[in-house]
Amino acid sequence: MSFKDILNSGKFVVTAEVGPPKGTDIKEMIHHMEILKGKVDAVNVTDNQSAVMRICSMAVSKIAMEHGLEPIFQMTCRDRNRIGLQSDLLGASILGIKNLLCMTGDHVSAGDHKGAKPVYDVESVQLLKIVDGLNNGKDMSGNEMKGSTDFFQGAVVTPEANPIEPQLIKFEKKIRAGAKFFQTQAIYDIEKFKDFMKHARKFPVKILAGFVVLKSVGMANFLNNNVPGIRVPQVLIDELKAAGKEKALDTGMNITVRHIKQLKEEKICDGVHIMAIGMEDKVPEIMERSGLL
Amino acid sequence: MIITKKRDLKDLLENVKNYRSFFLIGCSECATLCGTGGEPELKAMKEALEAEGKAVTGTFVAKTGCQVLGTKVELKPFKEALDKTDCIIVMSCGAGTQTAVDLYEDKAVFPSNDSLFLGNMTRLQFFDERCSLCGKCILDKTGGICPITACPKGLLNGPCGGCKDGNCEISPDIKCAWVRIYERMKKLDKLQEFCEVTIEAKDWSASQKPRALTAREEKKK
Repeated sequence: MSFKDILNSGKFVVTAEVGPPKGTDIKEMIHHMEILKGKVDAVNVTDNQSAVMRICSMAVSKIAMEHGLEPIFQMTCRDRNRIGLQSDLLGASILGIKNLLCMTGDHVSAGDHKGAKPVYDVESVQLLKIVDGLNNGKDMSGNEMKGSTDFFQGAVVTPEANPIEPQLIKFEKKIRAGAKFFQTQAIYDIEKFKDFMKHARKFPVKILAGFVVLKSVGMANFLNNNVPGIRVPQVLIDELKAAGKEKALDTGMNITVRHIKQLKEEKICDGVHIMAIGMEDKVPEIMERSGLL
Repeated sequence: MIITKKRDLKDLLENVKNYRSFFLIGCSECATLCGTGGEPELKAMKEALEAEGKAVTGTFVAKTGCQVLGTKVELKPFKEALDKTDCIIVMSCGAGTQTAVDLYEDKAVFPSNDSLFLGNMTRLQFFDERCSLCGKCILDKTGGICPITACPKGLLNGPCGGCKDGNCEISPDIKCAWVRIYERMKKLDKLQEFCEVTIEAKDWSASQKPRALTAREEKKK
């Protein structure tokens, strides 16, 4: 069953992430893929995440397929103009890549090639429209193509954004542009997420809540201070503090497991997206403890 | 106005080390307001060159350095000083520098400034970039605030996920352009329009370089 069919079947879906490495040594990456194989419904392949140059997401998406995983090919607008984006989309299509996550992309100033020219010829909403066109056999200029794509395209939303209104307006624009599913930025406040879901449920799209496991008090503070759109509430930081350094990671895992269970039991959203960030080997354990395996 | 910033004097002196005599051209418009090409700056440059043992045959602040014909006429009285010089240093923007290149084909011409952007002066010598000169204005759709310029990613349909407490993730000391647009549209009672209109991908052909315009032709239309 494809990711699209699984999502539409009503199953509580789990996606994880594979970050392509910098350089051609992919042993560790393959190891992570093997860990996730047969457990997650699909795996996101990031596109030069944080604007740090790495292997392109198309090649790694293809390798993920060869290792029995269903990739969600992430595509940012930072590095390619409309010609490059469309050409890569056609390339991904003939390689059999079906799922797509369209995003604007972190600015080059966040990454390791700060002098690069940021492209942003189009942005996430317009990219979604381009994909819709390609799916219907037409390129962005309206030219008829010989053979069309068959993408299942999604996008990103930040439920914790402050202010939230402009974010919600853009969320609706993405839906109108053809987004079928959304994966959210990491969430830590379930009550606030429920408010967002009340709004999101007005639309016929699937929502996967994003999770990043807290490893320590320091990491929680780092996320609050440095990662926009993420807000770790004080009550969780206190919980980590009370656990002490030794048990911080375990407590972080417990928090994630508790939240996933609540989302699933209360049928708040359609699934979860676990961003392990260097803890890929913990994903099966998180799933097991959350009752997802 | 065109905002300029002085280049490092050391680099300029390195550029011109093989020349002995200089003529300095400033500009009474933008460069004077920026403090990079008015009378005081020309005087300081003359002193710096003389301290290096160079000769300065003359200095002149053009009324509008990018106006080629006007500058040509203004420079006529300086013919002798210009004939005697090996090198011209232009203390305005890149356009002013290239006016001198047009007028003095046989002279070396060097810029003393970096040209940065088209800016608004919000306080004395505080400059903000508001317009990118893209060639196809969208201010009518965005409440009069240009996201192509005010947003580092030039987004056209709302904020990215990086907006933090209403500020930009890339320049944390400035407000997110899309939060500003949202608030202004709300004040103008145009939120409905903001929500419903998806701005199409930009046609960058109007930015294709080098651009030229014949205003007389435009008038005929």
